[in-house]
Amino acid sequence: MFCCAGCHGAYELIHGWGLDDYYALRDRTRAGDATPTRGEKSRYEAFDSEAFLGLSKPVRQADGLVSAELALHGLHCGACAWLIENAAARTVGWRSARVKLSDHTLRLLFDPTRIRLSQIARLLDRLGYELAPLTKNPDDHFRRENRQLLIQVAIAGFCAANAMWIAVALYAGAASGVAADHRFFLRMIGTGLGVAAVVFPGRTFFVGAWASLRTRTPHMDLPVALGLSVGTLVGGINAISGRGEIYFDSLAVLVFLLLIGRWIQFHQQHRAAKAVDLLLRITPSHARRLISAGQTEWVLADALQIGETIRVAAGESLPADGTIIAGQSILDRSLLTGESRPVEVNPGDAVSAGTVNVLRSIDLRVAAVGRDSRIGKVMQSVERAAADKTPVVQLADRIGGVFVVVVTILALVVLAVWSQAGLAIAASHATSLLIVACPCALALATPLAIAVSLGRAAKRKILIRDGSSLQSLAEPGILWFDKTGTLTEGRAIAELVFGEPTALADAAAIERDCRHPIADAVLREATNRQLELPANARLTHVHLGGIAGTSEGREVRVGNLHFIRQQGCAVENSVLAVVDRCITQLSSPILVSIDARVVAVLAITDPLKAGAGEVVRQLQKQGWTVGILSGDHPEIVRHVGEQLGIPTERVWGGLSPEDKLAHVRRGEARTVVMIGDGANDAAALAAADVGVAVRGGAEVSLQAAPVFIASGNLSSLLELTGGAARTSTLIRAAFAVSLAYNLLAVGFAMAGLISPLLAAVLMPISSISVLSLTLAWPTFRESVR
Amino acid sequence: MSVLFIALPIALLLGGGGMWACVRCIRAGQYDDLDTPAMRMLIDDRETQDVDKETV
Repeated sequence: MFCCAGCHGAYELIHGWGLDDYYALRDRTRAGDATPTRGEKSRYEAFDSEAFLGLSKPVRQADGLVSAELALHGLHCGACAWLIENAAARTVGWRSARVKLSDHTLRLLFDPTRIRLSQIARLLDRLGYELAPLTKNPDDHFRRENRQLLIQVAIAGFCAANAMWIAVALYAGAASGVAADHRFFLRMIGTGLGVAAVVFPGRTFFVGAWASLRTRTPHMDLPVALGLSVGTLVGGINAISGRGEIYFDSLAVLVFLLLIGRWIQFHQQHRAAKAVDLLLRITPSHARRLISAGQTEWVLADALQIGETIRVAAGESLPADGTIIAGQSILDRSLLTGESRPVEVNPGDAVSAGTVNVLRSIDLRVAAVGRDSRIGKVMQSVERAAADKTPVVQLADRIGGVFVVVVTILALVVLAVWSQAGLAIAASHATSLLIVACPCALALATPLAIAVSLGRAAKRKILIRDGSSLQSLAEPGILWFDKTGTLTEGRAIAELVFGEPTALADAAAIERDCRHPIADAVLREATNRQLELPANARLTHVHLGGIAGTSEGREVRVGNLHFIRQQGCAVENSVLAVVDRCITQLSSPILVSIDARVVAVLAITDPLKAGAGEVVRQLQKQGWTVGILSGDHPEIVRHVGEQLGIPTERVWGGLSPEDKLAHVRRGEARTVVMIGDGANDAAALAAADVGVAVRGGAEVSLQAAPVFIASGNLSSLLELTGGAARTSTLIRAAFAVSLAYNLLAVGFAMAGLISPLLAAVLMPISSISVLSLTLAWPTFRESVR
Repeated sequence: MSVLFIALPIALLLGGGGMWACVRCIRAGQYDDLDTPAMRMLIDDRETQDVDKETV
């Protein structure tokens, strides 16, 4: 079963951890993976040329070893990292490998005299991982910012922990008596720690507050900065004068907790902000340039010049727009248009980058490359649209604006009311109010609730890239489905509707050597019926619309009606009747002729996914407007729409990618959701408010769409919308709870009742309540109905 | 209780040393990838066991 000891070990580990779901997940994501890089298996020689590697150019070290950093596709979990790192240890000349799971890169160290990079790449390919040159520099900005934030958390944590111990000593001293010089010393050290916490790590809040003042947008930093500065000022004066409260333990803890909340949020945002490098993954990064008669060389697709000639072998996708100058083939344009049927192309036809050459090798004259190609222009407009999209204003920030005004007014009221009792007491009460009302729990609530929901959704095989999609999904809007592969299975199914199974066996036998979706369907049907395929079969000709071959001496032809007639086969009237019936049922008839006589008819259909109708009904009940956008033939799309009960005016067929984009962008509702295939509908997915990918590899899908349903089940959509709605309720509830605590505290403070002890108790209790509420709330559950 | 004047600064110094070490770790990039090392630690243990079995 296992190709090597490493696989066996990885399997045992995975099995031993009870993580068998890994295999289910892996198989599912693989099955639907329309890898545009198919056919690149033979091109590993290119890994030895520096032009190919680009940014991943190997660096020679002083000791003669060479290091290189490459992108790695196909990583799933820790076992993959283990396998690769062990592979390095067991390969002669390959010194070390370090896998980074967080950004899917691999750093290699090897001895160039004993092993070549191409050999390593081939070895990894055999293990099931694909190496590729880096496409952009590693994210230095994120790394720097992340480190900066962590350092601030560490310093704030140190200050907070020590300030609290000192506060405990002071409270104990207040209760049981303390020498004046000890008290002064402890207060001074506490003040020092508190000031350090506010000045060094707490600086962030002042910077944020200043920015929010300058841009006149309310932000949570504003009340925080206000509380911090007033607390520091009054606490400092009190510490020096030796009378009244010093607030520095509260201040240091406040800074610490807020920074932790900020760090969680920063991580989420980073995941959301990963560059949408769509163009790259739809078109291959390399091309085979024709240099002289029959001679080709691999070059980077970006380096191609207009007018050059490139060769595209069968099974590869086109790296550039161009005109065919030699060769006839069939192109699978589903990546670009969503058409389920491949189209034929001849010399002179213009073809687009990103389509897959199915049948045989063709030569093209390059007309446009990269961003100038048709798919490149579509993607550019998507990127522009993504940049224009205004970020969802966080609820916390919106409330923060109101909050700061209310709290400031209240503090002034307190100052005015208590001023009769003396200015010192009035100032002390007002300061207590400002500190106790500091929205610590408020600021923690949203990032925490979203982080927890994302984690739970991931366990249900729904991967969500950022929290704002959850917020958008909480309220119903318009929901567009792609057809091929989303509502339907996305792969053709052949059904024998006329004739004997032996004819099917003959047809399957000659289709065996043909790479075509219909050939696969015919083979599957023969396997399902457990037919014995004639061993002595040969494929002799592949034509557009059909194939011809021999099976045990019989002349077999399989193809559409036009092809069969062209080949001079007799088509009886009873067969024609069956063909007509197929067409009225919207399936494509494929005829099988043996010795120039049609003996069987196969109906090729793309069946609906199980439960699609139920999901659409449920979504409509929840208030979503459901529609279909498809590149497939309008008749077929209309038929699918009727079956699912989607109103005809919301069912669109025959759309180009540009049309799909236009539909998605029209923005008829507050939230426009597009559900489609991560590989084929990338443009529309990225342009929608929320894109949901149900097929394609996880890592590529999440670049285009913020949500990826790894199970491929449409019923997960219901979980997603339900979970989003519950998360939004949770955030509101957490807000309500922390606001209630704040109101309580403000009430006490205004009455002049707030003592440092009460503040010390109220503050952590409010945070703990929000925390436990978030963890107990059932956002994504087992059974959602 | 006058030991407080010596003990407290020493405690803070020790704590500060810990913080300085933590900051150094962060600066050196030890906290950049929080996913892989957790896995790697678990798996490495297992690997040595297997190797031992082979050599016995």
